[in-house]
Amino acid sequence: MRKDNTAGAATNRRRAASGDPLGPNSEIGRKLKQYYDELVSDNVPDRFAQLLSQLEQAQPARKKD
Amino acid sequence: MAAVSQNFKTDLLASIPSLRAFAVSLTQNADKADDLVQETLVKAWDKHESFEPGTNLKAWLFTILRNEFYSQMRKRGREVQDSDGIMTARLAVHPAQHGQLDLKDFRSALEQLPEDQREAIILIGASGFSYEEAAEICGCAVGTIKSRVSRARTRLQEILKISGDDEFGPDAISAQVTGSNAA
Repeated sequence: MRKDNTAGAATNRRRAASGDPLGPNSEIGRKLKQYYDELVSDNVPDRFAQLLSQLEQAQPARKKD
Repeated sequence: MAAVSQNFKTDLLASIPSLRAFAVSLTQNADKADDLVQETLVKAWDKHESFEPGTNLKAWLFTILRNEFYSQMRKRGREVQDSDGIMTARLAVHPAQHGQLDLKDFRSALEQLPEDQREAIILIGASGFSYEEAAEICGCAVGTIKSRVSRARTRLQEILKISGDDEFGPDAISAQVTGSNAA
């Protein structure tokens, strides 16, 4: 997530410099980021970590024997 | 099948917030979005060998998620929206009050975009992908992404009654919002 933000910030700077229509100088661009950042920062339900653990355990157990 | 590496699992976990954000953007529904993310994780796990380490995992996962989304829509018999046939009827008049665009208004405007335009503007304007990456994720030409982004932006500006880079929209002669139920 941290990485995304950094990449996003770099993109922002590039876009601002090139007058990109979705850059931070545009209302749409700013709202788009606000909308998305809010979604990204939502708490992740436990079900996903559990799912990955289940998938891991269901793997062919190569090392167990 | 080779065992999935611990790194791969860690990277998958780290990608979940982005995947959920993209899924909500596509489905416009939190429950459907989480189901979609779950499907994506299972698929990604199963085909982990087709991921080339060192390439963009997030783009790879977004591609899987997007394919899953469209294949589910097709299964449900829902016609995939084509932005060439824009439904102008759904245009809601919604002036920005006091020049401040409310996030709720923005959300409902975004919801009115055809899927292909919405995903394009999200990938480019919010997820931080380049046009080339977005084209790869969507399986289309770079020019197609550019035109979808441009149409999406124009459409959002129309719906939200804001012009280009203008901070303050036109005077808010409180027009009634029609049929927009922002969740």
